[in-house]
Amino acid sequence: MDHLDEMTCLLYAERQLDRVRAQAVSAHAQDCAACRTLLRALDRESRLLTRAMLEEDEPLPSRLAEFQERARKSFGWIWGVVLGLSATGVYTLYTYVIEPWQVRLEEAGFGGTSLLSLLVFQGAFWKGWQSVTTLLEVLAMLTLAGFGFALFRRRLRRGSALALVLAGLFAALALPAPAGAVEFHKTEGAYELAKDDTVKSDLFVTCGRGRIDGTIEGDLFFFGQSVEISGHIKGDAIIFAGSTRINGQIDGNIRSFTNNLTITGSVGKNVLTFNEVVNLDSAGKVGGSMTAFGESVGVDGRLGRDLVVFADQTIISGAVDGGIQAKGRAMSIGSSAQLAGPVRFEGDNPPTVSSGAKLASAVQFTKAEHKSRYTEGHYYLWRVIWTAAFVLFGLVLFLLLPKFSEETVRAGERFGAPVGLGVLVFFAVPIAAIIACITVVGIPLGVLTLALWILGLFTAEIVVGAVVGNWILGRAADTWGLIGRMALGFALVRIVYTPLEHLHVVGHLVALGIWMWGMGAISLALYNRFSPRVSSGATASIPPASLPPYTTVGGIQPA
Amino acid sequence: MEPLRPGSMSVPGMTQTTEAVARARAGDADAWGELYRDFAPAIFRFCRRALPTREDAEDATMEIFMKLRDKLTQYDETRSFSAWLYRVAANHCWDILRRRKIRQDKETDDVETVPLEHPDPNQLDKLIEQKTNEEVRQALHKLGARARMALVLRYYSDMSYDEIADELGVRRAFVGVVLLRARHELRQALEGKNALAAGGTS
Repeated sequence: MDHLDEMTCLLYAERQLDRVRAQAVSAHAQDCAACRTLLRALDRESRLLTRAMLEEDEPLPSRLAEFQERARKSFGWIWGVVLGLSATGVYTLYTYVIEPWQVRLEEAGFGGTSLLSLLVFQGAFWKGWQSVTTLLEVLAMLTLAGFGFALFRRRLRRGSALALVLAGLFAALALPAPAGAVEFHKTEGAYELAKDDTVKSDLFVTCGRGRIDGTIEGDLFFFGQSVEISGHIKGDAIIFAGSTRINGQIDGNIRSFTNNLTITGSVGKNVLTFNEVVNLDSAGKVGGSMTAFGESVGVDGRLGRDLVVFADQTIISGAVDGGIQAKGRAMSIGSSAQLAGPVRFEGDNPPTVSSGAKLASAVQFTKAEHKSRYTEGHYYLWRVIWTAAFVLFGLVLFLLLPKFSEETVRAGERFGAPVGLGVLVFFAVPIAAIIACITVVGIPLGVLTLALWILGLFTAEIVVGAVVGNWILGRAADTWGLIGRMALGFALVRIVYTPLEHLHVVGHLVALGIWMWGMGAISLALYNRFSPRVSSGATASIPPASLPPYTTVGGIQPA
Repeated sequence: MEPLRPGSMSVPGMTQTTEAVARARAGDADAWGELYRDFAPAIFRFCRRALPTREDAEDATMEIFMKLRDKLTQYDETRSFSAWLYRVAANHCWDILRRRKIRQDKETDDVETVPLEHPDPNQLDKLIEQKTNEEVRQALHKLGARARMALVLRYYSDMSYDEIADELGVRRAFVGVVLLRARHELRQALEGKNALAAGGTS
């Protein structure tokens, strides 16, 4: 007796045969035990498959339960965020269209006491803020464009993550400046702390011209066009100004971002300054060290410890009790100079040392080399060594944090979201850290943030390497597999990047892209991990649903 | 409690879902939450069966619901919501597999080759009787992507042959062939023989 083929039996069991054929199969099955058994087996197989697949063998992951909450809420708040960011974008457009940018900065007054208005609209007092303001506006515009794109693409989940961070940034910037321990003065004209006046707390001043003749028992935070300090500051002086003159006494440190800084008084501790011209006058005295970045640095007074200079021109005619490390175009040591420590200078020209100068030892000069390093063999040797070092660093990180590494790499595989977030983190975090350093949040927080940001930079390339490795070899099953892919991907990224580095602009852009991508992936993974968890109860909340008889695999059809 | 499948809802359940869909379309966040709470477990399980790893399934579930939100306006309320939802999910998972190129070209070649052998019914019966649900699930992950997807669409989502043909891009007449070949692969995997191992395991 001929048996039915399995295909026919399956189609019969699944009610896919026409009536005539089905009747023929049914008639055959009544007489043929083997075919009857096969039909029954196929039916049982169907039921087994259905049962196995429908069985609730694992609960809904908490990530998905949490996503439910986020999805529920995002309908509401995301529109608020979008609206807020849109307003920022509209404001930016307004400032560009209605008034010329430069005039706007010069004329802008205070709109309130928020850090945002303080930092953004007082830009005229320090020209460096102009670029920062521009950056903020560019970020706002980019965000607006990004949100438009996200809305059109309806990728709300990724948009939500980005929006949350952005909202946090803007909220932090817009927080009112705290009062209380800080005495706050703002004026568009001049501010003066009279000689007999004493401020018992920190003093926060924003004004055109400032004059401090009295005593400040805390720190001074100054934002303005110029400031002259003839009084006594017992804490630190943090100054953003076009011109700064220190005639009096500062017991703490000076941290300044200025065009001109002149010190004729005394500074108890250290000076860290970014400016065009800095001059420690012959009457001036700094108890600690001085670190200066600028065009021209002159030291005529006395410096208690080391001098570190990155300047076009360095002129030293005073006394330096510590060592000197300078880098720039030219260096001159005058006849009245008394240098107790070693002097190292790296520049284009040998330093000019006057015969009357008193030096502890001869100046160690290193000629700055501008030739291309890419033609040298040892450059590539070092590239290999650095690559190996990074792979080792990545290996340690992946072994220490295997789960988080995996999550980060997975986040990196979605190109759009991490790059978008990376752009934000790359620019916004240093700004936020600097703001934290110079304002009220605190230097430790700012420094820690910057340190984490730098760590993120180093780690970014490793993450990108792992993503590339995954693309090539497919996803890894375990940590060592991921490490292997990271090593391969990292090496490939380096191989591709090294020749691009010759093309400076392209090289920088590629490096930026890699950093933003990697940092965005890390940020995304952190966001996913530390966003609020909601207990998984979704599986238990499926509404009762009656399951009607399963018609298609319901058994052998009666003839 | 029986998991949700297309067409498996009671009338009250369907009414509630229809109302929730209407409210979600109008921008009601709570309604969206209801839909997610009701259907996410079943869709996650669908993705878990169709995709190689648990992480893939988690990602896909979220992406499907994001898509769903966009497509909610396209949903025809006269049809079953869960059936429509499974179509969206199936499309998404199949797209994922296609993008990753883990669908094997060989499968395309074989799709219209009808296996005509007559297996030993008693042996097949015995094999099925011995295997547990867990073993079947493990074996499923050893199948090729097309075979696995075909079985999931048919026996998990309860899709018709027409719908499966549409999803997998094969002629309707050959859906049975695809399913039969998938069953053969599954049996081999259950017996410990190498199936078309593709897609890895979770």
